[in-house]
Amino acid sequence: MTDIINPWLDPVEVRRLAEGLMTSHRDPATTIHNPGFDGKFVGFLADHSNPPPPPKSQPATEIPPKQVTAMPQNHRPNPTTAHGPLLERIIHFKNWMHEQFGTTDTFIIDQDGNVVFDDGNHAHLYFLARSLANAPLTQGASTGHVHLKISAETILEVIPVATTHGHLALCTAVAKSLSPTSVNAVMNALSQAASAPTENQMSKI
Amino acid sequence: MISIAVSSQKGGVGKTTVCINLAHAFARAGIKTLLVDADPQGSVGLSLTRQSRALSGFYDYLSNPGIPLDDLIIPTRLETFSLVASGQASDYETSGGGMGAHLARIRTFLRGATDCGFELCLIDTAAGLFGVTGDVIASSDAIIIPQQAEPLGIRSVPKLLEGLHRLRVMNPRLSVLGICLTMVQNDLTESTEAASALRQLLPPEMVFQTQIPRDGLFVRASARGLPIGVIEDGANAQSVFDSLRSEIETKIKPQTSPK
Repeated sequence: MTDIINPWLDPVEVRRLAEGLMTSHRDPATTIHNPGFDGKFVGFLADHSNPPPPPKSQPATEIPPKQVTAMPQNHRPNPTTAHGPLLERIIHFKNWMHEQFGTTDTFIIDQDGNVVFDDGNHAHLYFLARSLANAPLTQGASTGHVHLKISAETILEVIPVATTHGHLALCTAVAKSLSPTSVNAVMNALSQAASAPTENQMSKI
Repeated sequence: MISIAVSSQKGGVGKTTVCINLAHAFARAGIKTLLVDADPQGSVGLSLTRQSRALSGFYDYLSNPGIPLDDLIIPTRLETFSLVASGQASDYETSGGGMGAHLARIRTFLRGATDCGFELCLIDTAAGLFGVTGDVIASSDAIIIPQQAEPLGIRSVPKLLEGLHRLRVMNPRLSVLGICLTMVQNDLTESTEAASALRQLLPPEMVFQTQIPRDGLFVRASARGLPIGVIEDGANAQSVFDSLRSEIETKIKPQTSPK
């Protein structure tokens, strides 16, 4: 009966794909091979030994989407001491991250996919990055970062960060995956940079 | 509100016919239904409204943030049944790497539909699982996949499943309601064998029991701009879509099920 079909496809593989679609959720901590990523998708990070804090239930406040294409030359080593408008603080953070970890091609989007910051033109990566950043959240897991090999020499780190503006997804290119310690440092730094400094903090600056 | 994308890898599989008549079946059952034409070819509009080319619609909404959703909703004679046409963007780019570009706007559209009191939004998409169609699927609660009951179409199923897996990564809450066999010709061996083969190939819950037959009545109905249920001799064909509607209702989780 199935001879008109079977010679053209692999029934076992088709069945496996189909059954995978009929499940409600996937384990976000499991490295998966997905055909959409052509074997280069490394998967959601399995290391949850030091998970970041769960997302707070506060509603995300809107951050005016802005794009920058030129990067100021003003480098500051520590983003937590930076102050001023949000964009300026994020640029300080980005410069700090570059100096510490050699990151390039950085952009930040919010939970709805709106661009908060982009040091180049990475629009083609926004949707993918947002989806990867939100996937663990929508599956009820704590936030976890994802790394995706996007070329032979480059890995895209997608790091969800809880801030007072809601969840942001930091995306940046590196030559070698960041360690969990580095990821935590980056998360803390962005969280502080994205949050408006309190009066107490301002008085110390 | 629950949003359901009606999408397929291949074109010409009967998406628009399924959409129009399924939406009509839900509306007849008292569910406030919005049928959205997200296919730039505008097939829903061309089928149901004579002046569809003059109407603003879904693609105008995507390209112009100033357009309120209320201005796009076309009421029908059935109080619970409304439409949004494709719109004027007939040359809209639907292929290539534009996926994700309209995600936020489509989600705003769906929130707006909820605010308007709709309980079900059925979205007729262009063929393929990329571009604006990918954004629609990535924004929807569920997907129905019409699949023509013929060997060539069924050989494309692996590609379809791979595409759905990719979209599932992007939208993990997407519920695959199932594949609906269309254009089934019971008097043609290749057609019935293809339908049987698909059922053997896939998990039973992935293929709707209801099959849509190839029927000249559908051509007559679209020629007159009507759902099949309202033309003479259309009652039997309508019962097929009532059956499909019942299957869908059993698959939708209670918390998102239309009342």
